Amino acid sequence: MFVTDIRKEFYEVVANQRVALLVASDIDALCACKILQALFHCDQVQYTLVPVAGWQDLGTAFLEHKDQFKYFVLINCGANVDLLEMLQPDEDSIFFICDTHRPVDVVNVYNETQIKLLIKQDDDLGVPSYDEIFRDDEEEEEGGDSGNESEQSSEPSGKRRRFDEGAVERRIERQREKREWEARRREILFDYEQYEYHGTSAAMMFFELAWVSTKDTKDMLWWAVIGLTDQWVHDKVTHMKYVTDIATMQRHVSRHNHRNEDEDNSLSIDCMRISFEYDLRLTLYQHWSLYESIRNSCYTSCHFKLWTLNGQKKLQEFLADMGLPLKQVRQKFTSMDMSIKENLREAIEESSNKYGMKDIRIQTFGVHFGFKNRFLASDMVHATTALLENTEKDENETDNFIKALESLSRSNLERLHSGMDLAKKKLMAIQQTVASCICTNLILSQGPFLYCYLMEGTPDVKLFSKPMALTLLSKYLLKAFIQSTRNKRCRLLPLIMAAPKDVEKGTVLVVGIPPESETSDKKNFFGRAFEKAAESTSSRTLHDHFDTSIIELKTEDRSKFLDALITLLS
Amino acid sequence: MFCEKAVELIRELQRMNDGQLPAFNEDGVRQVLQEMEALYEHNQTDVNETKSEQRADLLPSIRLRHCCLLRNQRCVGAYLYDRLLRIRALRWEYGSVLPANVRFHMSAEELQWFARYKKSLASFMRSLGGGGGLDVTQDMKPPKSLYIQVRCVKDHGELEMDDGTLVLLKKNSQHFLPRWTCEHLIRQGVLEHVVS
Repeated sequence: MFVTDIRKEFYEVVANQRVALLVASDIDALCACKILQALFHCDQVQYTLVPVAGWQDLGTAFLEHKDQFKYFVLINCGANVDLLEMLQPDEDSIFFICDTHRPVDVVNVYNETQIKLLIKQDDDLGVPSYDEIFRDDEEEEEGGDSGNESEQSSEPSGKRRRFDEGAVERRIERQREKREWEARRREILFDYEQYEYHGTSAAMMFFELAWVSTKDTKDMLWWAVIGLTDQWVHDKVTHMKYVTDIATMQRHVSRHNHRNEDEDNSLSIDCMRISFEYDLRLTLYQHWSLYESIRNSCYTSCHFKLWTLNGQKKLQEFLADMGLPLKQVRQKFTSMDMSIKENLREAIEESSNKYGMKDIRIQTFGVHFGFKNRFLASDMVHATTALLENTEKDENETDNFIKALESLSRSNLERLHSGMDLAKKKLMAIQQTVASCICTNLILSQGPFLYCYLMEGTPDVKLFSKPMALTLLSKYLLKAFIQSTRNKRCRLLPLIMAAPKDVEKGTVLVVGIPPESETSDKKNFFGRAFEKAAESTSSRTLHDHFDTSIIELKTEDRSKFLDALITLLS
Repeated sequence: MFCEKAVELIRELQRMNDGQLPAFNEDGVRQVLQEMEALYEHNQTDVNETKSEQRADLLPSIRLRHCCLLRNQRCVGAYLYDRLLRIRALRWEYGSVLPANVRFHMSAEELQWFARYKKSLASFMRSLGGGGGLDVTQDMKPPKSLYIQVRCVKDHGELEMDDGTLVLLKKNSQHFLPRWTCEHLIRQGVLEHVVS
């Protein structure tokens, strides 16, 4: 059931209890976790934090902790599957689920006792009504019973036969109704569960809880902003929703900034200041050189077509048009001349309008504490994602989770900077892979979708054995492909991308993303499609990830799986 | 040279400046005591000789030996006392049960002294707090909060808390627990205090 008053029905319930937090591995979940941890520290609620990377981890964690905890809080996992069926908990376990995955499973919505959804009821849900899906079974038992009895020819009795005449007709009528109702129900459920998409950020939900309890701080606000920006960076929500949520956050930011800061009363430079920025869409540009950032950001790279020689010439023209000398542009941003930096944003916007890039600027937030530390929300998202999916050292996922969680605190700046370095490497790897895929025509049109497979020897292919990195690569690749192809029909197709995940076990990671368009609603149907294709070909797949459009598949089963998908989707 | 053995004992202690307890150097102490005995014997004979034969030229050597005896006494006294201070600090750091490797380094008398110190400390703690007893060895620094956030560094299995509930300590899980339950595990190295 949906929780209406999050403070009364969630926070005050767990305030005197011990809670288990099961947190998924994405930045929004990490930020939500940080906010909730800060609230729990404030009120001294004892908790245990367990990172979970997929359904199997969730099951194991639940089994390990179910004897010790009664209250479980699931962050960014568990809403889109029948949780009680999967975990088989005891009667008194209560689950609080704050998840951005939609559609929310109908059993989770209509269970009154054990599942409490920390989701706003009007959050773009469209849940079918109760009567359309569930039906009281009492009438059917009677009809069923008499039906059974008459079918058992071992006990026919003359009296029964006479009474059953009218009953038989009624029974036939009921059975027909039931079949119709079931057909309708299947259709409704199919429509409801067909497309997968994302709702409001979990970090924002918990920030609202903090705000309603008047325990919100600037740190929590910043985490909420990062959680929201994660949804934008990884293309999980539509632009409209992002802008609406930014407006909500902006209200909170201005409330926090209204601290009578004037000439007499100025805050120390070390205090944290969050400000609204209408800043450039160049990834990490303040911590890199402007040139590198333009070369490696998806937006600019796709518009200039930087994988072609022509595109690189255009980039030089663009820089010359703005009057930026190459020497300045290639050095670290912090060392650029002040005169250039002052009007940089407006100058770039003007020039990019000439080159067809109308939205080079995006609404976002930046934080500023101390003399050296300025970060944009998207910088933090990229850094933390790179730490979370770090493939450089052979560390297990929980170590990476903890490092990423730590990097969100203001006191762990070296970790954040190391994350930014990793993010830069990742972006450069993505750009090179995109360039090579397009130049060597690795993207094939299979009819209803586009398909690309990264061979094992591709440089940096180890980076793409992680789901978020592979998804980011696919989105960039699709955008670049749309710019480079002349085939109009291909531009409207979705993309499926596969990359080797585990060489020893011989599996690949397969990711499906919806087609790219201006008005895309980011709804992804690949989840169900993958399930059906796997079933029909009995391929060995592992649907472990919380996003159903990301699966692991045995390399040998790749071709038959693809063929099944093609037949399914055409 | 006289008194060298005694100074060596002191140097041994100084090498381990951080409060660690090296093994009890029984040989060294015995050698120093033997030297003191030898010096005393010599002095005795010389004093008797001086008294009987009125020889004034033995007085400087008697005085020298006497100074050496005093020095040896001071050194051995300092050695034993410093070790006792270190053992006392161990009680405050490790609790009433010392790890086996530390106990191995202590002599029998030191162990006895430790047992008596423990008893004395325990009766003192019992007398505090209006007869209820107060464990003063906890919270050596004033704690900032009742609960602390800890991360589990190695698998430890289940931990039972004061109210009987269990917490599963698995590697890399993070917990927010009362300070008093975690402190000894932090000292053992199973949990790590997370400061954010």
